[in-house]
Amino acid sequence: MSTLHTLSKAPSLGLLETCLSIIQSGDAVLLIEDGVYHCQQPAELLKKAGVKFYCLREDLIARGLIDRKLGAIETVNTQGFVDLCAAHDGIVNWF
Amino acid sequence: MPGTNSSKIISVISRQAPYGSNRAHQSLDIALAAAVFEQTVNYIFMGDGVYQLLGNQNATSIQSKTLVNALETLDLYGIEGVYVDSQSLTERNLKPSDLSLVTSIVSRDEIAKIVQSSDSVFNL
Repeated sequence: MSTLHTLSKAPSLGLLETCLSIIQSGDAVLLIEDGVYHCQQPAELLKKAGVKFYCLREDLIARGLIDRKLGAIETVNTQGFVDLCAAHDGIVNWF
Repeated sequence: MPGTNSSKIISVISRQAPYGSNRAHQSLDIALAAAVFEQTVNYIFMGDGVYQLLGNQNATSIQSKTLVNALETLDLYGIEGVYVDSQSLTERNLKPSDLSLVTSIVSRDEIAKIVQSSDSVFNL
């Protein structure tokens, strides 16, 4: 079983910390909407053994973050969002 | 009654990121409406509100209007007191050079003074 965690709020709400505290190896985190501001956070916050991080390209472009440092985060477009949903057994939304 | 004695000092504190909610847009509407009625307006970016000022935004990718373009009208409406909280920038690993709008970078103490000198404060 693997889960895709989508996170759609800015880092100031502290959702990522809670999300990472229950995440399992093999899961993935997809940053969407205001969640993409996490790519401005220190890279070590976006590291967790066995967990992949993704960022939605359209939301990065909207917010002026597309050319900013993303560390280990992979950028996906809307099609990639759909592919991630299909590739995981379940989805948990953090908002 | 028109005249200088009917003019008040109105401060708007904008604390939300630009596209996740409509609050950033509403803050701007308040400020522009007040400026049209010849009130003295201060505009303060705090917390996630500082994200509104990042350069190179293009919200057509999410079918929205790019807010930072609208923020440039603050100056056209005669709103000169545009402030950014220094601590909020630091907490988000942002530098003044990341911002696309000319603003005064201020401390929390200075913001406290602006709030204290205001007749009304809108805090969104």
